[in-house]
Amino acid sequence: MADILDIISSRRSIRRFTDDPVPDEVIDRLIEAARWAPSGENEQPWRLIVVRDPETKAKIAEIAKLGTGGRVTAEFSLSDYWQRHFAGVKNPETRARLFRTMYTGQASEFAGNAPVVIVVVGELDDMFDTPYDLSCCIMSLLLEAHSIGLGACWVHGPSVYPSLVKRMKELLKVPTGMGQYKLIATVSLGWPAESPKARDKKEFEDIVYWEEFGRKERP
Amino acid sequence: MDEKTTYFNDLLVRFEEIAYQELSGMIRAKVEYVGTDFLKSKKIEGDTVEKVVDSCIKEIKAGGLVEELTYSRAGGGLLLTFNVKNCIHLPMEAKLRDGLKNEGGVEPYLCPIANMILDRILNILKFEMVFKAQMEPDANKGECVVKCAIYESKEKVGQVWT
Repeated sequence: MADILDIISSRRSIRRFTDDPVPDEVIDRLIEAARWAPSGENEQPWRLIVVRDPETKAKIAEIAKLGTGGRVTAEFSLSDYWQRHFAGVKNPETRARLFRTMYTGQASEFAGNAPVVIVVVGELDDMFDTPYDLSCCIMSLLLEAHSIGLGACWVHGPSVYPSLVKRMKELLKVPTGMGQYKLIATVSLGWPAESPKARDKKEFEDIVYWEEFGRKERP
Repeated sequence: MDEKTTYFNDLLVRFEEIAYQELSGMIRAKVEYVGTDFLKSKKIEGDTVEKVVDSCIKEIKAGGLVEELTYSRAGGGLLLTFNVKNCIHLPMEAKLRDGLKNEGGVEPYLCPIANMILDRILNILKFEMVFKAQMEPDANKGECVVKCAIYESKEKVGQVWT
Protein backbone atom coordinates (compact mmCIF):
# COMPACT_ATOMS: atom_id res chain seq x y z
CA MET A 1 0.00 0.00 0.00
CA ALA A 2 1.35 3.46 -0.91
CA ASP A 3 2.14 5.76 1.96
CA ILE A 4 -0.75 8.23 2.10
CA LEU A 5 1.76 10.98 2.91
CA ASP A 6 3.20 10.62 -0.61
CA ILE A 7 -0.25 11.17 -2.04
CA ILE A 8 -0.96 14.10 0.26
CA SER A 9 2.35 15.86 -0.43
CA SER A 10 2.32 15.37 -4.20
CA ARG A 11 -1.22 16.67 -4.67
CA ARG A 12 -1.52 20.01 -6.48
CA SER A 13 -4.46 22.25 -7.28
CA ILE A 14 -5.11 21.60 -10.96
CA ARG A 15 -7.08 24.17 -12.95
CA ARG A 16 -6.37 23.05 -16.52
CA PHE A 17 -7.71 19.81 -17.88
CA THR A 18 -7.58 17.75 -21.04
CA ASP A 19 -10.79 17.12 -22.95
CA ASP A 20 -10.67 13.42 -22.11
CA PRO A 21 -13.84 12.29 -20.39
CA VAL A 22 -13.86 11.03 -16.84
CA PRO A 23 -15.50 7.59 -16.83
CA ASP A 24 -18.42 6.86 -14.54
CA GLU A 25 -16.49 4.25 -12.57
CA VAL A 26 -13.84 6.88 -11.76
CA ILE A 27 -16.48 9.32 -10.56
CA ASP A 28 -17.97 6.53 -8.45
CA ARG A 29 -14.60 6.01 -6.75
CA LEU A 30 -14.43 9.70 -5.87
CA ILE A 31 -17.90 9.59 -4.38
CA GLU A 32 -16.95 6.46 -2.47
CA ALA A 33 -13.93 8.26 -0.99
CA ALA A 34 -16.10 11.22 -0.04
CA ARG A 35 -18.63 8.87 1.54
CA TRP A 36 -16.02 7.57 3.99
CA ALA A 37 -15.03 10.99 5.34
CA PRO A 38 -15.39 11.58 9.08
CA SER A 39 -18.30 13.65 10.35
CA GLY A 40 -19.44 14.87 13.74
CA GLU A 41 -21.75 12.32 15.33
CA ASN A 42 -21.59 10.46 12.02
CA GLU A 43 -24.21 12.81 10.60
CA GLN A 44 -22.85 12.64 7.04
CA PRO A 45 -24.56 15.86 5.93
CA TRP A 46 -22.93 15.86 2.47
CA ARG A 47 -24.75 15.71 -0.84
CA LEU A 48 -22.68 15.72 -4.03
CA ILE A 49 -24.09 17.04 -7.30
CA VAL A 50 -22.10 15.71 -10.26
CA VAL A 51 -22.33 18.21 -13.12
CA ARG A 52 -21.20 17.32 -16.64
CA ASP A 53 -23.62 19.40 -18.70
CA PRO A 54 -21.52 22.08 -20.48
CA GLU A 55 -24.18 24.75 -20.16
CA THR A 56 -24.54 24.25 -16.42
CA LYS A 57 -20.77 24.20 -15.94
CA ALA A 58 -20.51 27.46 -17.89
CA LYS A 59 -23.09 29.08 -15.64
CA ILE A 60 -21.28 27.86 -12.52
CA ALA A 61 -18.07 29.33 -13.92
CA GLU A 62 -19.81 32.62 -14.65
CA ILE A 63 -21.09 32.91 -11.06
CA ALA A 64 -17.65 32.06 -9.66
CA LYS A 65 -16.00 34.58 -11.97
CA LEU A 66 -18.44 37.28 -10.89
CA GLY A 67 -17.77 36.62 -7.20
CA THR A 68 -14.01 36.76 -7.43
CA GLY A 69 -13.89 39.56 -10.00
CA GLY A 70 -16.41 41.74 -8.19
CA ARG A 71 -14.50 41.54 -4.95
CA VAL A 72 -10.99 41.82 -6.33
CA THR A 73 -11.76 44.70 -8.71
CA ALA A 74 -12.77 46.74 -5.67
CA GLU A 75 -9.94 45.52 -3.46
CA PHE A 76 -7.36 46.09 -6.18
CA SER A 77 -8.64 49.61 -6.77
CA LEU A 78 -8.96 50.63 -3.12
CA SER A 79 -6.03 48.99 -1.34
CA ASP A 80 -2.58 47.51 -1.78
CA TYR A 81 -3.67 44.07 -0.57
CA TRP A 82 -3.09 42.36 -3.92
CA GLN A 83 0.22 44.13 -4.49
CA ARG A 84 1.37 42.76 -1.12
CA HIS A 85 -0.12 39.35 -1.85
CA PHE A 86 1.93 38.99 -5.03
CA ALA A 87 4.98 40.88 -3.74
CA GLY A 88 7.10 37.77 -4.13
CA VAL A 89 6.49 37.68 -7.88
CA LYS A 90 9.37 39.74 -9.25
CA ASN A 91 8.63 39.63 -12.97
CA PRO A 92 6.39 42.66 -13.68
CA GLU A 93 4.67 40.97 -16.60
CA THR A 94 3.86 37.93 -14.53
CA ARG A 95 2.60 40.14 -11.71
CA ALA A 96 0.41 42.09 -14.12
CA ARG A 97 -0.98 38.85 -15.53
CA LEU A 98 -1.75 37.56 -12.04
CA PHE A 99 -3.47 40.80 -11.08
CA ARG A 100 -5.54 40.69 -14.24
CA THR A 101 -6.48 37.06 -13.64
CA MET A 102 -7.75 37.99 -10.19
CA TYR A 103 -9.63 41.22 -10.84
CA THR A 104 -11.33 39.94 -13.96
CA GLY A 105 -12.38 36.85 -12.01
CA GLN A 106 -10.75 34.54 -14.57
CA ALA A 107 -8.94 32.84 -11.70
CA SER A 108 -12.22 31.25 -10.67
CA GLU A 109 -13.85 30.40 -13.98
CA PHE A 110 -11.98 27.15 -14.66
CA ALA A 111 -15.06 25.14 -13.73
CA GLY A 112 -16.31 25.90 -17.22
CA ASN A 113 -13.40 24.00 -18.76
CA ALA A 114 -13.41 21.01 -16.42
CA PRO A 115 -14.97 17.77 -17.66
CA VAL A 116 -16.68 17.32 -14.30
CA VAL A 117 -17.72 19.69 -11.55
CA ILE A 118 -18.85 18.25 -8.25
CA VAL A 119 -20.88 20.72 -6.24
CA VAL A 120 -20.73 19.96 -2.53
CA VAL A 121 -23.74 20.86 -0.45
CA GLY A 122 -24.66 19.84 3.06
CA GLU A 123 -27.82 19.40 5.09
CA LEU A 124 -28.23 21.96 7.85
CA ASP A 125 -31.45 20.89 9.51
CA ASP A 126 -30.73 19.01 12.73
CA MET A 127 -26.98 18.97 12.04
CA PHE A 128 -24.14 20.24 14.21
CA ASP A 129 -20.96 20.47 12.18
CA THR A 130 -21.98 20.75 8.56
CA PRO A 131 -19.23 23.09 7.20
CA TYR A 132 -16.45 21.13 8.85
CA ASP A 133 -17.86 17.77 7.81
CA LEU A 134 -18.09 19.00 4.23
CA SER A 135 -14.46 20.16 4.29
CA CYS A 136 -13.33 16.67 5.34
CA CYS A 137 -15.48 15.15 2.62
CA ILE A 138 -13.86 17.38 0.00
CA MET A 139 -10.36 16.48 1.20
CA SER A 140 -11.13 12.77 0.89
CA LEU A 141 -12.43 13.34 -2.61
CA LEU A 142 -9.37 15.38 -3.63
CA LEU A 143 -6.93 12.78 -2.35
CA GLU A 144 -8.70 9.94 -4.10
CA ALA A 145 -8.76 12.00 -7.31
CA HIS A 146 -5.01 12.58 -7.09
CA SER A 147 -4.28 8.97 -6.22
CA ILE A 148 -5.84 7.79 -9.47
CA GLY A 149 -4.19 10.49 -11.58
CA LEU A 150 -6.99 13.03 -11.82
CA GLY A 151 -6.42 16.73 -11.29
CA ALA A 152 -8.79 18.76 -9.17
CA CYS A 153 -9.27 22.08 -7.44
CA TRP A 154 -11.91 23.09 -4.96
CA VAL A 155 -13.22 26.61 -4.72
CA HIS A 156 -15.14 28.09 -1.83
CA GLY A 157 -14.38 31.79 -2.13
CA PRO A 158 -16.65 32.87 -4.96
CA SER A 159 -19.57 30.93 -3.52
CA VAL A 160 -19.79 32.89 -0.30
CA TYR A 161 -22.03 35.81 -1.25
CA PRO A 162 -25.58 34.86 -0.31
CA SER A 163 -26.94 36.48 -3.48
CA LEU A 164 -24.60 34.44 -5.70
CA VAL A 165 -25.11 31.27 -3.69
CA LYS A 166 -28.84 31.71 -4.25
CA ARG A 167 -28.23 31.89 -8.00
CA MET A 168 -26.11 28.76 -7.84
CA LYS A 169 -28.74 26.91 -5.80
CA GLU A 170 -31.49 27.90 -8.21
CA LEU A 171 -29.36 26.74 -11.13
CA LEU A 172 -28.88 23.32 -9.53
CA LYS A 173 -32.36 23.14 -8.00
CA VAL A 174 -30.98 23.03 -4.45
CA PRO A 175 -33.58 24.26 -1.92
CA THR A 176 -32.74 27.94 -1.35
CA GLY A 177 -33.85 28.36 2.27
CA MET A 178 -30.96 29.54 4.43
CA GLY A 179 -31.76 26.84 6.99
CA GLN A 180 -31.93 23.96 4.53
CA TYR A 181 -28.68 23.31 2.69
CA LYS A 182 -25.25 24.92 2.74
CA LEU A 183 -23.48 25.15 -0.59
CA ILE A 184 -19.85 25.12 0.41
CA ALA A 185 -17.77 24.58 -2.70
CA THR A 186 -17.35 23.40 -6.23
CA VAL A 187 -14.70 20.81 -7.06
CA SER A 188 -13.58 20.99 -10.69
CA LEU A 189 -11.81 17.89 -11.92
CA GLY A 190 -10.51 16.08 -14.96
CA TRP A 191 -7.30 14.65 -16.36
CA PRO A 192 -4.56 17.23 -15.72
CA ALA A 193 -3.20 19.39 -18.53
CA GLU A 194 -0.65 21.07 -16.27
CA SER A 195 1.81 19.98 -13.62
CA PRO A 196 2.41 22.94 -11.35
CA LYS A 197 5.33 23.08 -8.97
CA ALA A 198 4.66 22.76 -5.27
CA ARG A 199 3.59 26.00 -3.60
CA ASP A 200 5.64 27.29 -0.70
CA LYS A 201 4.68 25.61 2.52
CA LYS A 202 5.35 26.87 6.03
CA GLU A 203 8.13 25.03 7.77
CA PHE A 204 7.37 22.31 10.28
CA GLU A 205 8.75 24.36 13.18
CA ASP A 206 6.66 27.36 12.16
CA ILE A 207 3.36 25.59 12.64
CA VAL A 208 3.88 23.30 15.61
CA TYR A 209 3.96 24.09 19.31
CA TRP A 210 4.58 21.64 22.09
CA GLU A 211 2.30 21.27 25.10
CA GLU A 212 1.14 24.89 24.90
CA PHE A 213 0.61 27.61 22.32
CA GLY A 214 3.85 29.34 21.40
CA ARG A 215 6.23 26.78 22.92
CA LYS A 216 8.61 25.74 20.17
CA GLU A 217 10.98 23.43 22.01
CA ARG A 218 10.06 19.79 21.80
CA PRO A 219 10.19 18.44 25.39
CA MET B 1 -28.40 56.39 22.44
CA ASP B 2 -31.42 54.87 24.19
CA GLU B 3 -31.14 51.67 26.16
CA LYS B 4 -33.01 49.54 23.62
CA THR B 5 -30.71 50.58 20.77
CA THR B 6 -27.66 49.95 22.94
CA TYR B 7 -29.06 46.53 23.76
CA PHE B 8 -29.63 45.60 20.10
CA ASN B 9 -26.22 46.94 19.11
CA ASP B 10 -24.64 44.80 21.82
CA LEU B 11 -26.43 41.76 20.41
CA LEU B 12 -25.00 42.56 16.98
CA VAL B 13 -21.52 42.98 18.42
CA ARG B 14 -21.63 39.50 19.91
CA PHE B 15 -23.02 38.01 16.70
CA GLU B 16 -20.30 39.71 14.69
CA GLU B 17 -17.64 38.35 17.01
CA ILE B 18 -19.00 34.81 16.78
CA ALA B 19 -19.38 34.97 13.01
CA TYR B 20 -15.81 36.24 12.62
CA GLN B 21 -14.50 33.55 14.94
CA GLU B 22 -16.29 30.89 12.86
CA LEU B 23 -15.53 32.12 9.38
CA SER B 24 -12.55 34.53 9.58
CA GLY B 25 -12.12 37.28 6.98
CA MET B 26 -14.60 35.97 4.42
CA ILE B 27 -17.46 36.70 6.83
CA ARG B 28 -17.58 40.26 5.50
CA ALA B 29 -18.84 38.93 2.18
CA LYS B 30 -21.40 36.68 3.81
CA VAL B 31 -23.42 39.29 5.69
CA GLU B 32 -24.78 41.17 2.69
CA TYR B 33 -28.42 40.44 3.63
CA VAL B 34 -28.14 41.88 7.17
CA GLY B 35 -30.21 45.05 7.29
CA THR B 36 -31.90 44.61 3.92
CA ASP B 37 -35.39 44.02 5.31
CA PHE B 38 -35.78 47.61 6.44
CA LEU B 39 -36.07 49.02 2.92
CA LYS B 40 -37.90 46.07 1.41
CA SER B 41 -41.08 47.25 3.10
CA LYS B 42 -40.62 50.84 1.87
CA LYS B 43 -41.49 52.30 -1.49
CA ILE B 44 -38.08 52.68 -3.08
CA GLU B 45 -38.15 53.77 -6.70
CA GLY B 46 -35.88 55.03 -9.44
CA ASP B 47 -34.35 54.14 -12.75
CA THR B 48 -30.86 55.38 -11.95
CA VAL B 49 -28.42 54.74 -9.12
CA GLU B 50 -28.82 58.30 -7.93
CA LYS B 51 -32.62 58.15 -7.83
CA VAL B 52 -32.64 54.82 -6.00
CA VAL B 53 -30.00 55.93 -3.48
CA ASP B 54 -31.79 59.24 -2.86
CA SER B 55 -35.02 57.34 -2.28
CA CYS B 56 -33.25 54.98 0.14
CA ILE B 57 -31.62 57.83 2.05
CA LYS B 58 -34.97 59.56 2.51
CA GLU B 59 -36.41 56.45 4.19
CA ILE B 60 -33.27 55.74 6.22
CA LYS B 61 -33.25 59.26 7.64
CA ALA B 62 -36.99 59.21 8.22
CA GLY B 63 -36.54 55.98 10.14
CA GLY B 64 -33.97 57.65 12.39
CA LEU B 65 -31.19 55.21 11.49
CA VAL B 66 -28.73 57.98 10.64
CA GLU B 67 -28.56 61.73 11.20
CA GLU B 68 -27.01 62.47 7.83
CA LEU B 69 -26.10 60.34 4.83
CA THR B 70 -24.44 61.61 1.68
CA TYR B 71 -22.80 59.77 -1.17
CA SER B 72 -20.56 60.22 -4.17
CA ARG B 73 -19.66 58.17 -7.22
CA ALA B 74 -16.25 57.72 -8.79
CA GLY B 75 -14.21 55.03 -10.51
CA GLY B 76 -16.19 55.34 -13.71
CA GLY B 77 -19.39 54.83 -11.76
CA LEU B 78 -18.24 51.64 -10.06
CA LEU B 79 -17.27 53.19 -6.73
CA LEU B 80 -20.13 54.32 -4.52
CA THR B 81 -18.95 56.01 -1.31
CA PHE B 82 -21.26 56.73 1.59
CA ASN B 83 -20.50 59.29 4.28
CA VAL B 84 -22.66 58.45 7.25
CA LYS B 85 -23.08 60.74 10.24
CA ASN B 86 -24.27 59.52 13.62
CA CYS B 87 -25.50 56.13 12.49
CA ILE B 88 -27.29 54.14 15.21
CA HIS B 89 -24.78 51.33 14.62
CA LEU B 90 -21.67 53.47 15.14
CA PRO B 91 -21.39 52.57 18.85
CA MET B 92 -21.54 48.91 17.84
CA GLU B 93 -18.63 49.33 15.44
CA ALA B 94 -16.63 51.30 18.01
CA LYS B 95 -17.25 48.64 20.64
CA LEU B 96 -16.31 45.87 18.27
CA ARG B 97 -13.03 47.52 17.35
CA ASP B 98 -11.99 49.20 20.58
CA GLY B 99 -14.25 48.40 23.49
CA LEU B 100 -13.61 44.70 23.30
CA LYS B 101 -9.90 44.96 22.62
CA ASN B 102 -9.08 43.21 25.87
CA GLU B 103 -11.09 40.29 24.60
CA GLY B 104 -9.38 40.33 21.25
CA GLY B 105 -11.14 42.97 19.20
CA VAL B 106 -12.55 42.50 15.71
CA GLU B 107 -12.30 44.93 12.81
CA PRO B 108 -15.86 46.06 11.98
CA TYR B 109 -17.11 44.47 8.81
CA LEU B 110 -20.90 44.73 8.87
CA CYS B 111 -22.76 47.81 7.64
CA PRO B 112 -26.53 47.30 7.59
CA ILE B 113 -27.03 50.76 6.05
CA ALA B 114 -24.83 50.02 3.02
CA ASN B 115 -26.32 46.54 2.76
CA MET B 116 -29.87 47.82 2.51
CA ILE B 117 -29.00 50.37 -0.19
CA LEU B 118 -26.89 47.94 -2.20
CA ASP B 119 -29.70 45.38 -2.03
CA ARG B 120 -32.11 47.89 -3.57
CA ILE B 121 -29.61 48.73 -6.33
CA LEU B 122 -29.20 45.03 -7.05
CA ASN B 123 -32.90 44.25 -7.11
CA ILE B 124 -34.53 47.40 -8.47
CA LEU B 125 -31.92 48.29 -11.08
CA LYS B 126 -31.05 44.63 -11.74
CA PHE B 127 -27.34 45.19 -11.31
CA GLU B 128 -25.12 42.17 -11.78
CA MET B 129 -23.22 42.45 -8.52
CA VAL B 130 -22.66 44.76 -5.57
CA PHE B 131 -19.90 44.57 -2.97
CA LYS B 132 -19.22 46.48 0.23
CA ALA B 133 -15.47 46.82 0.04
CA GLN B 134 -14.37 49.02 2.94
CA MET B 135 -15.73 50.76 5.98
CA GLU B 136 -13.95 53.24 8.21
CA PRO B 137 -15.98 54.10 11.30
CA ASP B 138 -14.70 56.98 13.41
CA ALA B 139 -16.59 57.10 16.68
CA ASN B 140 -14.82 60.26 17.82
CA LYS B 141 -16.09 62.21 14.83
CA GLY B 142 -19.41 60.36 14.80
CA GLU B 143 -18.84 59.45 11.17
CA CYS B 144 -18.34 56.44 8.99
CA VAL B 145 -17.11 56.20 5.40
CA VAL B 146 -18.26 53.13 3.50
CA LYS B 147 -16.88 52.29 0.06
CA CYS B 148 -18.82 49.96 -2.20
CA ALA B 149 -18.45 48.62 -5.72
CA ILE B 150 -21.52 48.36 -7.94
CA TYR B 151 -21.43 46.49 -11.24
CA GLU B 152 -24.19 47.18 -13.69
CA SER B 153 -23.12 44.37 -16.00
CA LYS B 154 -20.63 41.50 -16.17
CA GLU B 155 -18.44 43.60 -18.44
CA LYS B 156 -17.91 46.13 -15.65
CA VAL B 157 -16.20 43.53 -13.47
CA GLY B 158 -12.44 43.84 -13.89
CA GLN B 159 -12.47 47.54 -14.79
CA VAL B 160 -10.13 48.65 -12.03
CA TRP B 161 -9.89 52.32 -11.18
CA THR B 162 -7.30 54.54 -9.51
